[in-house]
Amino acid sequence: MKIHGGEFLTPGRQSGDKSGHRSPQGRTRKDVTGVSGQEPVLATGISGEPAIKKDQPKALVIPKPRPDERAHTGKAGRPFWSGSITIGLVNVPVRLHTMVRDRSFSFRLLHREDGQPLRYDRVCTKDGRVIPWADTVKGYEVRKGEYVVFEPEELKAVMPESDRKIRIEKFVYYLSLDPTYFETPYILLPDRSEEAYSLLVTVLQDLGRAAVGTITLRTKEYPVVVHVYEGALVLTTLRHADEVTSPHAFEQLHSLPVPKASELALAKRIITELSGDFSLADYPDRYQEAVMGLIEKKLAGEKIVREEPHPEEAKELMQALQETIATLAGK
Amino acid sequence: MTKEEPSLRDLTRVHLTNLNRVMYPALNITKQEVITYYIRMAPRILPFLHNRPLTMHRYPAGVGREDFYEKDAPQGTPDYVDIFTRYSETADREVHFVLCNNLDTLIWLANLASLELHVTLSSAATYDSPDLVLFDIDPEPPLSFDDTIDVAHIVHGQLEEAGMRSYVKTSGKKGLHIVVPLAAGYRFEEIRAFAHTLGKKIALDTKGVVSEFPHSQDPGTIFIDYLQNAHGKTMAAPYSLRATDGATVSAPLSWDQLKHGIRPEDFNIRTVLSGNEDPWRGIFDTRQTIGR
Repeated sequence: MKIHGGEFLTPGRQSGDKSGHRSPQGRTRKDVTGVSGQEPVLATGISGEPAIKKDQPKALVIPKPRPDERAHTGKAGRPFWSGSITIGLVNVPVRLHTMVRDRSFSFRLLHREDGQPLRYDRVCTKDGRVIPWADTVKGYEVRKGEYVVFEPEELKAVMPESDRKIRIEKFVYYLSLDPTYFETPYILLPDRSEEAYSLLVTVLQDLGRAAVGTITLRTKEYPVVVHVYEGALVLTTLRHADEVTSPHAFEQLHSLPVPKASELALAKRIITELSGDFSLADYPDRYQEAVMGLIEKKLAGEKIVREEPHPEEAKELMQALQETIATLAGK
Repeated sequence: MTKEEPSLRDLTRVHLTNLNRVMYPALNITKQEVITYYIRMAPRILPFLHNRPLTMHRYPAGVGREDFYEKDAPQGTPDYVDIFTRYSETADREVHFVLCNNLDTLIWLANLASLELHVTLSSAATYDSPDLVLFDIDPEPPLSFDDTIDVAHIVHGQLEEAGMRSYVKTSGKKGLHIVVPLAAGYRFEEIRAFAHTLGKKIALDTKGVVSEFPHSQDPGTIFIDYLQNAHGKTMAAPYSLRATDGATVSAPLSWDQLKHGIRPEDFNIRTVLSGNEDPWRGIFDTRQTIGR
């Protein structure tokens, strides 16, 4: 499972890997081309074989969220972007909806004495004065203390224009994409294009493929992959190649010893025994849950500091406890 | 000479909070008193609650203030609480029911201000198969509690005739609950049909008794509610407190105790504590079949 071969995404990684699922080169070419003859942005390079092999491990089992926890239920809210998927001359109008929500929380900094929130100001490092937004420009630090200065219009001039298109350039086997490059998923919904949308869902599903291409969101162009997830088209933005460090940069990895056969056999046995279906529900965010619980308690007026009731105060309760424990034990 | 007092921590794993918060403002009853009540009732209430999915009815700020039902184990549920996970069709999701299988869980529930404990008519192990039939008997004014008692005795008589032993308790509100313990393997449709048939028969023979829902609120009637015999429905557990001004208890009674003149308010947090025999003792030793 790798993004493979394209210089753009995997510099220096073309030949070193030992994928066991490789097919002869000729077949590969034939299988993945046929969409466009352009310079590949993402090329599969590997595997002309079916995406889902019988002996492959099961895909992730993502549990259905409990309805009250669902980030975006039923009614889709406002789309985050709308435009169309463009495959050659074919357009499929779609709306983009956010799919993940960040459940992390942030605290505000308060003044301990009066509980009032603190605010950040832009303070000139030279004369210590607070500078209004209007008097600011952007600078890129080229050397320590030396800046190239930009006015907002200068930056605007080079920002990519969003042309409201998700340009599809290739189709690849979804399982050949390495999650290392995945950034943010979005749900694509048909925009009065149910038939074309459904066709795309079905064909991608049947062939086990995903579409790769580009999208411009706000001011940034992203490589993207569009795949089928639970009956929907999901678009995932990918990181740019230079944002991801290749393991090849680490010398240490170049000279790993070959494991002994006996050790390998043992390790395989252990892994087989520990194999199971993966469920994200097994991994709750305990810190977040704990803090949220504390917040609820604070709101309900409870003190968080652990306090034991004084024995005198709870005398009757203690006596009842002792008697009941004795009764239950005697049964 | 001071005797070494055991600390609260030695006796229970529950971290008790806000013991002085008033739960029943009319009587100035604090949470400490509520917890003490449940501790004292534990030997009677625990056997009934065992493995029965609970619905909590919580009153965090006391009776008369905001309250809510909770079927799901809340965040921070401690390890000593047994959980029964089950897909709920009405909620369309998995529900993590609390099972009150030990004293600490009962104390924890009381500490959560779950004044009322409601249970299903089936136990977790055989969730789709009820082991209790419930006749919920409710009077509409101007009929009184005495009239309700009369109807309860009629239901009791009919069940005796059918060779079935039944148990009665006050609902803690205005009516009475009659419960018939069953052998394993019944379906909810079967027990509902049974309760409905008996209710209809009594309604035919007895003036003022109604057995159909549309008439349940007719003035001057007593409704024998068979509809409670359904999947996921709950009843107040025996000895559960109720959120009433008088801190009433859903109190099990012997058939001899069920006489004209008694009132639901007579059975409350301060009176039920007496140590006499539990009228419902051994209820699950009588596993009966419905005479079909």
